Amino acid sequence: MFSLRPRSFLPFLLTLSPLAGSAKIDFNAQIRPLLTKNCTTCHGGVKKAGDVSFLYREDVLGKGKSGRPVVVPGSPQESEMIRRLKTSDPDDRMPPPDHHPEPMAPSDMALFEQWVSEGAEWGDHWAFVKPTKPSLPKISDPAWPTSDLDHFVLARLDQAKLTPSQPASPGAWLRRVTLDLTGLPPTLAEFEAFSTAAKSDLPKAKESVVDRLLASPAYGEHLAAMWLDLARYSDTFGFEKDPHRNIWPFRDWVINAFNQDLPFDQFTIKQLAGDLIESPSAHDLIASSFHRNTQNNTEGGTDDEEWRMAAVMDRVSTTWTAWNGTTFGCVQCHSHPYEPIPHEDYYRFLSFFNNSEDIDQNDDFPKTKVAKDPGQQAASVMLEKDIRKARTTINSSARELAQNIQDWSLLQASESIAQPDTGKVTQQKNGDFLSSGTNPTRAVFKITTPSPSFGAIRLTILPLSDDPANWDEQGAVVSGIEVTLVGADGKRKPVALREVIADHLAGPYDPNDSLKKGSSGFGEFPMMKGPRTAWIVPSSPIVPESGEKLEISIRHGAVCNGNNQNCVLRRFRLESSNDPRLAEFLAKPERSAEWKQLATLKKQYNAIPGMTIPVMQERRPEAQRETRLFIRGNRMTLGQVVAPGVPEIFGGNGKEKNRLDMARWLVGPENPLAARVLANRLWASMFGIGIVETLEDFGSSGALPSHPELLDFLALRLRDHHRWHLKPFLREIALSASYGQDNKATSSLLQTDPTNRLLARGPRQRLSAEMVRDQALVVSDLLTTKSGGPPVYPPQPDGIWRSVYSGQTWKTSTGPDRYRRAVYTYRKRTSGYPAFLTFDAPTGDVCSANRIATNTPLQALVTLNDPAHIEFAQALAKVMAKHHPDLSEQLSHGWKRITLQKPDPETLETLVALYRDASAELQKTPGDSAKLADSPALASLVIVANTILNSDAALNR
Amino acid sequence: MIHPFQQLQHDRLQHQTRRHFLNNCSVGLGGLWLASQGNSALGAALHKDPAQPFAPSAPHFAPKAKRVIYLHMAGAPSQLELFDHKPELTKYDDKDCPAEFLEGQQFAFIQGVPKMLGSVFPFHKAGQSGQWISDRMPHLETVIDDVCFIKSMWSDQFNHAPAQLLLHTGSQNPGSPSAGAWTTYGLGSENQNLPGFIALTSGGKNPDAGKSVWGSGFLPSVYQGVQCRSEGDPVLFLGNPDGVSRNLRRKSLDALSKLNQRIATEVGDPETLTRIAQYEMAFRMQMHASDAFDVSQEPASVHEAYATQPGKESFSNNCLLARRLAERGVRFIQLFDWGWDSHGTGPNTDLRDGFVKKCKEIDQPIAALLKDLKQRGLLEETLVIWSGEFGRTPMRENRGGKTMKNVGRDHHPAAYTLWMAGGGVKGGVSYGETDALGYNATTDPVSAHDLHATLMTLLGFDHKRFTHPFQGLDQRLTNVTKTSRILHDIIS
Repeated sequence: MFSLRPRSFLPFLLTLSPLAGSAKIDFNAQIRPLLTKNCTTCHGGVKKAGDVSFLYREDVLGKGKSGRPVVVPGSPQESEMIRRLKTSDPDDRMPPPDHHPEPMAPSDMALFEQWVSEGAEWGDHWAFVKPTKPSLPKISDPAWPTSDLDHFVLARLDQAKLTPSQPASPGAWLRRVTLDLTGLPPTLAEFEAFSTAAKSDLPKAKESVVDRLLASPAYGEHLAAMWLDLARYSDTFGFEKDPHRNIWPFRDWVINAFNQDLPFDQFTIKQLAGDLIESPSAHDLIASSFHRNTQNNTEGGTDDEEWRMAAVMDRVSTTWTAWNGTTFGCVQCHSHPYEPIPHEDYYRFLSFFNNSEDIDQNDDFPKTKVAKDPGQQAASVMLEKDIRKARTTINSSARELAQNIQDWSLLQASESIAQPDTGKVTQQKNGDFLSSGTNPTRAVFKITTPSPSFGAIRLTILPLSDDPANWDEQGAVVSGIEVTLVGADGKRKPVALREVIADHLAGPYDPNDSLKKGSSGFGEFPMMKGPRTAWIVPSSPIVPESGEKLEISIRHGAVCNGNNQNCVLRRFRLESSNDPRLAEFLAKPERSAEWKQLATLKKQYNAIPGMTIPVMQERRPEAQRETRLFIRGNRMTLGQVVAPGVPEIFGGNGKEKNRLDMARWLVGPENPLAARVLANRLWASMFGIGIVETLEDFGSSGALPSHPELLDFLALRLRDHHRWHLKPFLREIALSASYGQDNKATSSLLQTDPTNRLLARGPRQRLSAEMVRDQALVVSDLLTTKSGGPPVYPPQPDGIWRSVYSGQTWKTSTGPDRYRRAVYTYRKRTSGYPAFLTFDAPTGDVCSANRIATNTPLQALVTLNDPAHIEFAQALAKVMAKHHPDLSEQLSHGWKRITLQKPDPETLETLVALYRDASAELQKTPGDSAKLADSPALASLVIVANTILNSDAALNR
Repeated sequence: MIHPFQQLQHDRLQHQTRRHFLNNCSVGLGGLWLASQGNSALGAALHKDPAQPFAPSAPHFAPKAKRVIYLHMAGAPSQLELFDHKPELTKYDDKDCPAEFLEGQQFAFIQGVPKMLGSVFPFHKAGQSGQWISDRMPHLETVIDDVCFIKSMWSDQFNHAPAQLLLHTGSQNPGSPSAGAWTTYGLGSENQNLPGFIALTSGGKNPDAGKSVWGSGFLPSVYQGVQCRSEGDPVLFLGNPDGVSRNLRRKSLDALSKLNQRIATEVGDPETLTRIAQYEMAFRMQMHASDAFDVSQEPASVHEAYATQPGKESFSNNCLLARRLAERGVRFIQLFDWGWDSHGTGPNTDLRDGFVKKCKEIDQPIAALLKDLKQRGLLEETLVIWSGEFGRTPMRENRGGKTMKNVGRDHHPAAYTLWMAGGGVKGGVSYGETDALGYNATTDPVSAHDLHATLMTLLGFDHKRFTHPFQGLDQRLTNVTKTSRILHDIIS
């Protein structure tokens, strides 16, 4: 609703669009926007009124309900669309008069007419067409560029009749580039070294600065801040209790990956499918935690399947936003309203993420171990893999035999009782058992049958409905099973059971646990998604004595849904077979050797000390979940089954079958978006504004690129020339003439280009939340440069963390951990670090692609009054005092540590006057003075240091 | 030719960078209304002080309510013990719950077939309007003729955090702006020296959904609620550091302003001038916020009326603060009181025990707040809303399938009661009904989206036109993927 009011920047916007009335119509620039604005809301992906749609050319060339062709290329007279636009008959006129009292502007109608006359040519949205390498444009001043990218910038300036600004001063450039590449300010020593080197060879001096910065460990810590926003990284689960999550090794992995300049294609594949790479290393598994940063709802009684699906959908949206800058979320409910993406494509893509083992469990299952001793890490990963493989083999060899057994006969119960008696279990005519009434978590069902002899019992747990579209119930788990022979005299003989074999293994529970004490065991957990079968096998085939009955006792105990709902069987079937083969097979010594081997592996694994972190893990092939379309986006109304796949419009060719294929497609040559999105994101991190301003949206609703050719040039430079290496790419930007300009904004530049999209001046950006802290740590000589490790707790006011049902407390770090970089500060989703939130850091709830820098009074309160910032000022004051005995030298030094420049006389005079005022007051109030520092002189320096740290020079780069 | 979406996106980004917002702050909302009134004051509206993102602006049409006080009882109080009188349920007390209520239903804790539970407390008719109320709210009863009950509220979320998010943001997932953020985004605030949207908590905990319930979602972050505290600084970092007097702070800000003026001349970045103004506003806020939160200034009679003890975090203190903030023109004031989750798992959550104490804690201060606002002439322009995030079951909770020692009810999204007072809402009326057992909202059911549509209407907005582009959609508080209706019947 803010949209159509004229603004001062409107003339500027005009310069970004092709001029109307040019020789030939450009579909993308002139027609598509009109269709999106006037037509596709009713004739598009959501509604297809009158059977007319303007999403695809073939639709436009077809006939609507009226039977008349919508558009006849070359013939506006025969095109119903043109007639409907121009007619004065209110029944026919488009857009309909009841919602659009004014007809379309005649100039727009003329564009449509011209377009149809010229053949109604179609074009795909610019960002959905693969980038092509542009040639370098002609420019007015061939001496200006220091990098190829500068040609594109200057060509655009030439077009706008603007000239570039002078180069920034060495100090300004050094401060800018150091903060932009490492998130830390340069030190005075670094500045002096650079100044000296610059005198003999400025370009070379700049190169060596950039190389030094890119090689610094601080580089990875800085870039990680951006990536962790996209990863919605957090040290907690989110939602009500918001408990701690051990996932910081993922944060360290990101930092290291940037520092090692891991190419972005590898960076992508490892994070999206590290677990599916052949023989993944521990690092690959940790990388796959990217998508385990989804929120996990542990509130009592939450529907585990609902929140599993919320996490899966979040993975879909995050993948599309982070890599492709495309809003995919709207396709959840219907076809995309204005992009040619059909509804089904959402679920085809979702299916890539729909087969991971995680299911909103309070223990964050599944996890991998990060060994305490890195030397044991490889062994630990190998053991995890071997254990899983061995367990699968043990089950599947027996299952194959079990599935060959044919002589199953239904067990007919003579008695079936539920304990406690608030519940009931009854056998139906078809032999199925149904439970009803109140069967609490630990309910026991006892089924008695006139005893047949048996070699195995087959238990099938059934969903209440036979229709797969209705399969969504809470879990059903047999936590204990006992079989007893009961004689006519009541004498009870327990049957020794050897194993429980399952149709497949999935989830956190082992079917064989049904033979042990505890709450795990065979069944569907935590949610019932279809029938499940188990074979319960005695130590040897059972031949009862006459008069003996068989009692099968099924004990429950598992809980799902935030540990609050029971997993009692609601419908099940029992059958027996006399076939002895299964019992014989399981009794073989080879079998017990296999079990022994598995136990040994587990023992070795458990002996490795370490912590566990959540990772992606795919369900076994036989346990794959079917993905169905959700009708209107509602997971309770399921539509047809869909196969995994990438949307055709983005180069999907039906060959992508799993997450690994999908990740490879993302960074492959067929995807038109990822390289542009990343190049744009890196550009924005340096220039403060993207070539596409909407970093998160490259679709038709996003902003158009200010320099389309430059964007394609950069995208291909990054992907093909630098083979996805970020460091050389950023190096080129950092050394470019465009980036190196002075950032002074003249009033005429403010008039013509207020947001500096054309780059006739250098960038000026407010420091990020992280930089505000980190800069203060550096200039006050407090920074602890330690990399990685568990999150830390710098001072924050008492009483910020007050999560319900959570014993978590903020234990303020002491010693070196108190002064770590911002990226290591504990991130709690429901209660972020206040100073960072105030400076626009996101909460970590969802993928955040674009931080907008604001400027508010609450920020002033943070940097003026936050005790953490007072501590920085106190430390800076000490550094100033130590520097020189002379006051003006001390004050100059404080100013220089931030700005790298000596204060001009007026500035120095202001600082001196403030010092004098402070000193005059603090000498009179020794009590106050003592709270700030040991002496009134030092306390007065604290006041000045605090003021310098709050200056606009400090808060910008 | 201008691509309309480009224009929209550009506007959005411009608005998010307060840079632009400050320069044109009232063009959007105020401009539209004024323009539609044929008022040439539009030009004047453009020249507001550029350092005030909360400069007041007019909505689409003349509003009935100028501000909102939302009293949220986190944990969800039982409607069946307070406002929804169900004599039939009493007849079914201790009988098995009918199967039709259980089929296909999910509960948080109830298992199998629970027993019905009649209201634990007696109901009677009160006030001239003769509305039903239980004996747990004797003070509220005295102002019942100003209250409009909506007895047919429903939710589709049966867990606290998602249900609170749905009620305050229109979506059960974190990431959408809260009603308070939308309101201050649209209307600004009447006091530039205080945050425009303030959240106050009591009961010792934050709401279950954390700070997202007063978050700004995809709106500019300046519009998120500012959580103010009863102990320590009411606004984080409001107080000067130990040892820095207000005089010394003034001196340092004067010096800072000089430094920044010089930078502004040198660099020419308009943001620098804005920063100078923001520091000045912070300085004013230090004084005004401290003053607003100093309840000790109130006379003894007021403390007696509210049952307040200055300096202690309590719901009653927050009620008194709400009045002081409303008086000072704060646009949206949200109170969260934690501890209403009456499951019956222990004395604190027993309807006969903990619940009784909670009722006592809120009854008198709420009545005092309504009377106080009325007496000061503020009630008619201040919309007061009271609710939980869902209701409680007509069945007695049987956690683990067993009868529990204490008496409680489980979460119940199908029906709950919300009430409003003042701000253009009819007093002494009831809207909507539940069935005879209080299970489902059967007559005129009201969703969170209906509530939001009504709220926006009272504040002067066409809720469908009050939008913000995000992720390819014109987002709005009433959630573009849902339907909503305005409750015209309750608007006076």
